[in-house]
Amino acid sequence: MKPKERVMTALMRGQPDQVPWVENEVEEQLQIRIMGGRTDYTPGELCRALGMDGFGYHFPTGGAGSASQALQTSKSIKEAFYFPKKITFDFVPPWIADMGVEPGGRTYVKRGLLTDRDSLKLFDEFLPDPDHPARYEQVAKWIEQYREDYAVYARIRLGTASTIESIGLDVFSLMMFDDPDLVKEIHRRFSEWTVRVIENLNKLDLDFYWANDDHADTKMPWVNMEMYEEFFKPYQKMVADAIRKPWAFHSDGNIFPILDGLVSLGMNAIHPIQPSAMDIARMKREYGSKVCLIGNIDLDYTLTLGTPEEVDKEVKERIEVAGKGGGYIISSANSLTDYCKTENVWAMSKAVKKYGKY
Amino acid sequence: MSDQLEKIKDLCVRGKRVELLAELKTALAAGIEAKTLMTDALIPAMSVIGEKYSKGEYFLPHMMLGARAMSEAMEAIKSELSKGTYERKAKAVVGTVAGDFHDIGKNIVKLMLEGGGYEVIDLGVDVSPERFVEAVKNESPRFVMLSALITLTMESMRGTIEALSSAGLRGQVLIGVGGAPVTQKFADEIGADFYSQDAYGCVEKCNQLLR
Repeated sequence: MKPKERVMTALMRGQPDQVPWVENEVEEQLQIRIMGGRTDYTPGELCRALGMDGFGYHFPTGGAGSASQALQTSKSIKEAFYFPKKITFDFVPPWIADMGVEPGGRTYVKRGLLTDRDSLKLFDEFLPDPDHPARYEQVAKWIEQYREDYAVYARIRLGTASTIESIGLDVFSLMMFDDPDLVKEIHRRFSEWTVRVIENLNKLDLDFYWANDDHADTKMPWVNMEMYEEFFKPYQKMVADAIRKPWAFHSDGNIFPILDGLVSLGMNAIHPIQPSAMDIARMKREYGSKVCLIGNIDLDYTLTLGTPEEVDKEVKERIEVAGKGGGYIISSANSLTDYCKTENVWAMSKAVKKYGKY
Repeated sequence: MSDQLEKIKDLCVRGKRVELLAELKTALAAGIEAKTLMTDALIPAMSVIGEKYSKGEYFLPHMMLGARAMSEAMEAIKSELSKGTYERKAKAVVGTVAGDFHDIGKNIVKLMLEGGGYEVIDLGVDVSPERFVEAVKNESPRFVMLSALITLTMESMRGTIEALSSAGLRGQVLIGVGGAPVTQKFADEIGADFYSQDAYGCVEKCNQLLR
């Protein structure tokens, strides 16, 4: 099988010739280490180097590093969205937040800015025009130029993570009681933005979407099922209904308590099944007939602090548990961050080949 | 427990802050001491909230709602409390460790500790080992709580504990660690005194250690 066929077969819960490997992201500094210091490689070259079967996210190829999100004005956020300088397949809205930058360049949300009704005017200031043709035209060219035989995906958000981060988790928690309509209004606006993005993306030659919306910490989701159904699902459904391609859903943490609600949206896969929060054997048993499973190679310890031998062992175990009968795409339990040990990423690459054959 | 104290506890558990503040005012006017309100109604309310959270009956928003009600209630009876003999259980210094800028988890731990009857000194985010050492010297806390969100910054927890040891302060404090990538195994490895997966578990561990 070609890589794309392998990924699409697994996404549809079928059994390919071997367990496919796709990551939600490989951070650029790690990509460069994998490629021996080069920055001029194509997405396909990175996939071949590691033996991965698909790509999305972004690559350093095509331009110098740009200012991180935190350093951009709302005007430059829009310009960067319309006219990306480096290869990207991301279509996520910016956080409407006061952003900070760590010394290593990683950005973080200092404080959400959507805290009252007056702050709703910030939507116009921050969100790019989802129908501006430039980004879609550019990404269409990149897909044509770089897809080769790989599965290509775009990252999106259903709007939930945007809502929570742009309000701030603590403020959001109280706002659900103090002003529930405002929470809904904010979610609706983010989801409507994504619906328009999706309507444009549906016309591109993408293979699938990957919706990134954290709902949980390692203990439990931030909302119960009743709150999920009231505050999130109606707006998530707007996005899900607009999607015309297979799609994967991502949330860190333990989403078991709301998983029935989420799965009813009709996604094809669930990612990343964080090992410290969710048991993949239970996922396979209870949800394996409904969705493809993606992920579960531990990022908290194994890939970042463990040894290549531990990576090898974990890959073997996961394939035995989750790979049975297909419907499993191996992946880290979030993304390959730049603080993963390079030797562990190579160990994962070797182990996937060693144990992944059906 | 009197009906009035039971009502105050229940209002706090349900996060009904307006009714709670009114009921506290009535109770004080009726001659119930602020210390009694604190020890027999408000602190037990936080335990109920924590237990409900541990059992999965309450989720984060319910816990935050209760913690806000508790915090406002404490503020409302603060001046009355200071007239009496009420003392906080212990002092805790909390902070997100060096290199880490995430503060949501730390802030929730702070809220829950305050609600649980602790005095909390919040050092903020990206707190160097030296600042923790300085805070322990200046504040003489019983507990030091270290938070980290990403694997990359967990090592700063080890560095902070080492710095407290080098400064000869390790024996004076009980050190708790928490955050998404942190595990009991890691806590043991770096020589922390305890680990908790969530904010209320942290309060419970502190209570156990004080017994």
